[in-house]
Amino acid sequence: MTEHLKMDEVQPRLLDETTQGAIHRPMPRPEGPLKVSGRATYAAEWKMDNAANGVLVRAAIPKGHYKVDASSVEAMPGFLGVYTDRMPRNAAQGTMNTNPAQIGDEIQYLGQPIAVAVAETFEQARDIAAALKIDYDRDDDVAAGPDTAQQVNEKDDPFDQGDLDRAMADAAHSVDATYTTKGHNSAAMEPHAALAVWDGDKLTVRASLQMLGYNRNELADSLGIDAENLRLLSPYIGGGFGSKLGISPEAIAASVAAKELGRPVRVVMTRNNVFETVVRRTETRQRLRLALDADGKLTGIGQENWQSNLPEEPFAEPVDLATHFLYAGANRRYGQHIAIVNRSAAGSVRAPGEAVGMLALENAMDELAEAAGIDPIDLRVANIPETHPENGKPFSSRSLAECLRQGAEAFGWSARQAPGARREGEWLIGMGVASAARTNILQESKARVTLNPDGTALVETDMTDIGTGTYAILGQIAAEMLGLPPEKVTVELGDTDLPKASGSGGSWGAASAGSAVFLGAKGIRRRLAERLGCTPEDLRLQDGVATGGNNRRPLAELMDAPLSEIGHLETGAKSNDVHQAGYGAHFAEVAVNTVTGEVRVRRMLAAMAAGRILNEQTARSQVWGGQIWGIGTALTEGLDHDPRTGHIVNNDLAEYHVPVNLDVPDLDVIFVEERDDDANPIQAKGIGELGLSGAGAAITNAIYNACGVRVRDYPATPDRIFSHL
Amino acid sequence: MYDFEFERPRSIADAVKALKTEEAIAFSGGQTLMPTMKQRLAMPSKVVSLTAIEEMRGVRQDGSGIWIGGATTHATVARETKDSYPALSSLAARIGDPAVRARGTIGGSVANNDPSACYPAGVLASRGVIVTDRREIPADDFFEGMFMTALEEGEIVTAVKVEVPETAHYAKFIQPASRFPLTAVFVAKYGDGVRVAVTGASESGVFRWTEAEDALSGDWSADAVDGLSAPDGSDMISDLHGTGDYRAHLVKVMTKRAVAAC
Repeated sequence: MTEHLKMDEVQPRLLDETTQGAIHRPMPRPEGPLKVSGRATYAAEWKMDNAANGVLVRAAIPKGHYKVDASSVEAMPGFLGVYTDRMPRNAAQGTMNTNPAQIGDEIQYLGQPIAVAVAETFEQARDIAAALKIDYDRDDDVAAGPDTAQQVNEKDDPFDQGDLDRAMADAAHSVDATYTTKGHNSAAMEPHAALAVWDGDKLTVRASLQMLGYNRNELADSLGIDAENLRLLSPYIGGGFGSKLGISPEAIAASVAAKELGRPVRVVMTRNNVFETVVRRTETRQRLRLALDADGKLTGIGQENWQSNLPEEPFAEPVDLATHFLYAGANRRYGQHIAIVNRSAAGSVRAPGEAVGMLALENAMDELAEAAGIDPIDLRVANIPETHPENGKPFSSRSLAECLRQGAEAFGWSARQAPGARREGEWLIGMGVASAARTNILQESKARVTLNPDGTALVETDMTDIGTGTYAILGQIAAEMLGLPPEKVTVELGDTDLPKASGSGGSWGAASAGSAVFLGAKGIRRRLAERLGCTPEDLRLQDGVATGGNNRRPLAELMDAPLSEIGHLETGAKSNDVHQAGYGAHFAEVAVNTVTGEVRVRRMLAAMAAGRILNEQTARSQVWGGQIWGIGTALTEGLDHDPRTGHIVNNDLAEYHVPVNLDVPDLDVIFVEERDDDANPIQAKGIGELGLSGAGAAITNAIYNACGVRVRDYPATPDRIFSHL
Repeated sequence: MYDFEFERPRSIADAVKALKTEEAIAFSGGQTLMPTMKQRLAMPSKVVSLTAIEEMRGVRQDGSGIWIGGATTHATVARETKDSYPALSSLAARIGDPAVRARGTIGGSVANNDPSACYPAGVLASRGVIVTDRREIPADDFFEGMFMTALEEGEIVTAVKVEVPETAHYAKFIQPASRFPLTAVFVAKYGDGVRVAVTGASESGVFRWTEAEDALSGDWSADAVDGLSAPDGSDMISDLHGTGDYRAHLVKVMTKRAVAAC
């Protein structure tokens, strides 16, 4: 049976009525011990006696055509084959649901996967890949970066409301500043990997993927097979951050080679592959304009951005996503320009849009507060719009002011001084603040929930856990609804044979998949209520005992066989009629060395409001992750491209610095109490990407407060600060 | 890996003989050579390991100085010079990470003369002498430029000798991802003068900042550095980790810090 809900109406807050106490509580993830003891098997680790090993061959030129000469390596030890068939140019974009670009013998960027070399062992395959003779027909007309691009795609119909130029001219205070950000790599700990096994027409692929429902269609389409014949397995994923949203070259290559060879083939990306071929976050240039009247009210906002991508690649970094709704102001204008370049594909990297767009917006707000002589928090609070400033829609729960106020109190914002005022030896100390906002999205999702007479339960869905805590929260939701201790609930994920869920991405996984589990369990509650002889509203379930209508019975007496229900959530009118977003406030205290320009983040605090917090511990971990990405974005991370070829030169973790323990101080997170009734039946909103949105801007605003240097070019490496000191 | 011959001689004489083969290369800790070979930037037909040569290992007093065998690892130098030459010990203890320090050797480091390596600064500032299978070369003549040394074809660094100064300090500004110095300065004060050696900064590799040496020899104080202008940034490495001007600035900053820490 199926419990179905289309989210058209506000739903009762059932999770505030249940009494098991499984939800919200800071429960450690149940699969954690498996992961830290090496017992959680990741895609590349599956043992299969007759598996062959493939290594991706990368293009050594940025543009042109190629032909591989397999005869040049046939005699090498362990040689099994070299395949170019169906090789994609890059991974599919998130939720694409069809094949990524497959461009045959054409090369459009240096590092593009062009073949897979397969041998008995990994080492042999690597050697064959290195020795393979490739004939290149090189095209020297290369656009290595946005500055040399001949084609720039303009956004068809950029939003333009009122008269921004006029608002700027009439403003009492204004900011017109340009910010730049370098590209980013997701740099997930687990490199992309796939193990493909054919059995007749049936293909099974173990891979590291975020969205199995979409990925199944993408891989089937790439191979020209029926999706019904394809099973994907991704029970454990060592981080995704957007890089595993779409099917990517190693899975397609492994499938093609396995078919040709009639034996399983494993393809694992190297770290260099990950940097060179996995989607990057585009570099951006952003022009921000803010106009403020004499009363401290915004009258105009403008955000225009320049970025880059490969030809025909259906993705643009939604840089201005939060700018549309975060602050009031009648006159608003946006623009987007995408240079077509010979660089790897740009796509979703954690919090696409806000991660870089809010750096510029929140820096500009800080500059405006300075210009107007208003406290940055007061300026933000005074300009929170009543309704959506561009379409007039009402907002769902929105605790931005509470986050700013409560965060300021907890952080000790009142101790903030003027730039340069607080000195400790060589170091100047400063504080910064930034708003956080991330659009909340709900996606269709299904899950099967089964309650057994022995008081255990099973949750099954093809949802993924990319290190976010899905195993924990789905078990907690089922436990809360069914009145069981969480350890009695088993959660099975990451298998396309199971009911199709939303997948992990866009911070929608917990609320979407969680709502499906909620609905499945709700269906079981309805059936238990019937058996107990009470209404579902009167039913109370706790510790394996059902109470209702003057009856009190252990579950075992109510059922002689397992009860199973599929929960099916669909998005409804609420997604369209009400503007939904998570909100928060980031605070940072930094020390800037006046002699070297080094920046040390001393402490950070995030005050977050994201509806119901399902698990305080995994939610906090998500926010920590966002704060740490904020440090990287502000201070250390940035892809550098060879100006001649567009090639990513810092293509490993020794050159691209992701923050490590020494870079990360004590991180504080507080959750502002909230329920979002418009969002979904569990009143929760996404939190993963919210934790990153604005985080880096709080750091660079703190740098200004410390030493009076405005960082407008990211990352703020010491040489960039030193030159202004 | 591709096929190559591998020899592990037990004496310097045997190693020298083995290296007479065309395209043979000496292999000490392999911390540079192995990745270089993996990337096919070097494809020697024969690799001659120096790690089994007992006479090239260890640390011992040598008159008023210290003798360090060429095949001695960074970890061993860090441990064995802790009392006799704390500044050198500290330099060795901060190279790379524990895995690098367990394999990498002083001989390999000076023979490679990476412009961002730590040892060349320590050896140059410590009035070092590079001992090879055929001669002794003062450090001043040994380091010729980025990845360039006075070594001849097949010549092996068998030991490094340093003079122990009255006081010394190695001030290192690290590039956080690789932990190579972005710029680092080794300052050593002897009875008859001061040496200041800089690594990580110059396009020409390790160098002595003679203006600072003169100033400090006259007035041994961090303030003495203040009056100097930093070296010219146009001669400095400019890359994604920092501009040449920034490195030039760091030369002065790290020199001052090194003196202050002595």
